Amino acid sequence: MGAVSEKREGYNMTIDRLSGAFLVLLGLFVVWERRVLPLGTTSHPGPGYVPLLLAILLIIFGAILIVRGKGARPLRSVSWSEAPHAVAILGCCIFVTLFMETIGYRLTLLVVLGFLFGVMERIKLWLTLALTVGFAFGSFWLFDTLLRVPLPRGGWGF
Amino acid sequence: MEATFHNLILGFSTVFTPANILYSLVGCLIGTMVGVLPGVGPLAGISMLLPTTFGLDTTSAIILLAGIYYGAMYGGSTTSILMRIPGEAASVMTCIDGYAMARKGRAGPALAIAAIGSYIAGTLSVVGLMFLAPPLAKFALGFGPPEYFCLLVCGLVVLSYMTGGSIVKNLAMIVFGLMVGMIGIDQMSGYFRFSYGIVALGDGVGLVPVAVGLFGISEILVTAGSPEIREVLKPRLRDLIPSKQEFKDSIAPIGRGTVLGFLIGIIPGSAHIISTFVSYAVERRISKHPERFGQGAIEGVAGPEAANNAASEGALVPLLALGVPTGPVPAVLLAALMVHGITPGPLFIQEQPVVFWGLIASMYVGNMVLLLLNLPMVGLFVNLLRVPYRILYPTILLFCVLGVYAVNSSLVDVGIMSIMGVLGYLLRKMDFETAPMVLGVVLAPIIEFSFRQSLAMSAGDYSIFIQRPIAAFFLVIALIMILLSLKPLFIKKRDWRERLTEAQKDA
Repeated sequence: MGAVSEKREGYNMTIDRLSGAFLVLLGLFVVWERRVLPLGTTSHPGPGYVPLLLAILLIIFGAILIVRGKGARPLRSVSWSEAPHAVAILGCCIFVTLFMETIGYRLTLLVVLGFLFGVMERIKLWLTLALTVGFAFGSFWLFDTLLRVPLPRGGWGF
Repeated sequence: MEATFHNLILGFSTVFTPANILYSLVGCLIGTMVGVLPGVGPLAGISMLLPTTFGLDTTSAIILLAGIYYGAMYGGSTTSILMRIPGEAASVMTCIDGYAMARKGRAGPALAIAAIGSYIAGTLSVVGLMFLAPPLAKFALGFGPPEYFCLLVCGLVVLSYMTGGSIVKNLAMIVFGLMVGMIGIDQMSGYFRFSYGIVALGDGVGLVPVAVGLFGISEILVTAGSPEIREVLKPRLRDLIPSKQEFKDSIAPIGRGTVLGFLIGIIPGSAHIISTFVSYAVERRISKHPERFGQGAIEGVAGPEAANNAASEGALVPLLALGVPTGPVPAVLLAALMVHGITPGPLFIQEQPVVFWGLIASMYVGNMVLLLLNLPMVGLFVNLLRVPYRILYPTILLFCVLGVYAVNSSLVDVGIMSIMGVLGYLLRKMDFETAPMVLGVVLAPIIEFSFRQSLAMSAGDYSIFIQRPIAAFFLVIALIMILLSLKPLFIKKRDWRERLTEAQKDA
């Protein structure tokens, strides 16, 4: 039993080993993707020359992290308590990326801010409405109307 | 000397218009708010507010952005003193004695000395910048591609050593940043690289979405949802004026902090943070009563605050004279300058004297504005600290989206910002520093161009980098830094880099 737990301990993944492995994989991916770019010669390096050098460096650094990563923090010690909030915020960013030019800046911000204030943070309804409308329309007026920074209006001109 | 003063008069004549003074005022005020609010550092602040300068002429835009920059550097001290929360990492040392003073009912003098120290250090550092940047730029005019390549390599290695944390991780982040910087059309051959048919990526990945994602969005992702327990000590504003003894005790630390901060500020890396460490250590070492440190010694506020502000202006020397940013904040300033059609570098001071000397003059004005404006308005900043974070972060998110979108009117940039936000969040979980990556992204085109040009010059002979004395000098410094970073493998002793890492985590 003791030997089993010791073996399990030995295989403990640390943050350095995991990140080192990612760096190695990323380096290998760049080496693979670079094959369509001419390497050139040392006297006239092509567009693939420097990316290849960088990929090799990344693989080396990743390997060092894997080799020296035993004493690093265990992966299970990383806290993900804020993850639900983070996922929601990220969802909002994706929503903005996909829809802001289609439905316009103000409508997008009404949806996003309303969701964050009202659903995620459970702020009182009147305050949610005031903040959402105020920020969505106020920021549009400040940037688009006053500072002449063009913001998307969407299909309905709104 | 005469030419310098003539140019300075030119600068003041540019700045002393009602509109530019207003921009300086607004910049300092917004910058201080950015510095005060936890989670909005100067980097995210400048990036978010960059679009507000689009409608302005170049000089006014630079004056506004510079105001935000040094206002943010000052603002961090308020939260350090009143809440024991550093607004940004450079204010960590101010927490120790500043908060101890506040607990003893001396928050007012601590804030006043921080403001006066910042003002003196800021003003004297501008003098240093004024005299050092033009000759450095003149010297750099003789640099060819090999010198530039070695200078940048040296800068990046020094940055990875001075940033704290694991040097291997920092170097990996630089390489990763350089790779991200390779995306887009190759300048020399016209090939599309790693853009997967996305036309918007032809111009490459912009610095603003990368910086806002890695610093602004990742901060929101990490901190949103965390419990809010904030105790804000209310300063007794009637007691803002420090006592005679406190003034006397602060003068020498401010002077030493200014010199240390300015000199350290020129070095790449977390210079403004390191300078506060060094200043605090020096003050404690030479004090006749070192036991007072940690219990509310005014020297522990005066020295680090002066060093912090001096370092942030020292960082402008290599940026303006060589076009080389030494940290992520100067990198974003560089991007902001480039948006306005200015490319800092050896020719910048010669070709754009009105902008350069206008910026110098605006710094004198800005430092004065900070001193006059911020102390009476400390009550406003305290109230700002009482806004709950659950209301604050959606607002910050709004400005991040707005700031990134407005640079190129591109939703691809907003997408890049989101990806970088997730990446920054994961990198922080894995104990990686994101600042080296930002520098990698911004320097990638110059470093690749000078590398390939150097090899073309030497017909593929790599020895060109050691045959030219200046290039070889930079490589030797880089080598020394790498050797120094190997020291912990042989000597098991806690060094300053570990303490710096801890301070950055605390912040």
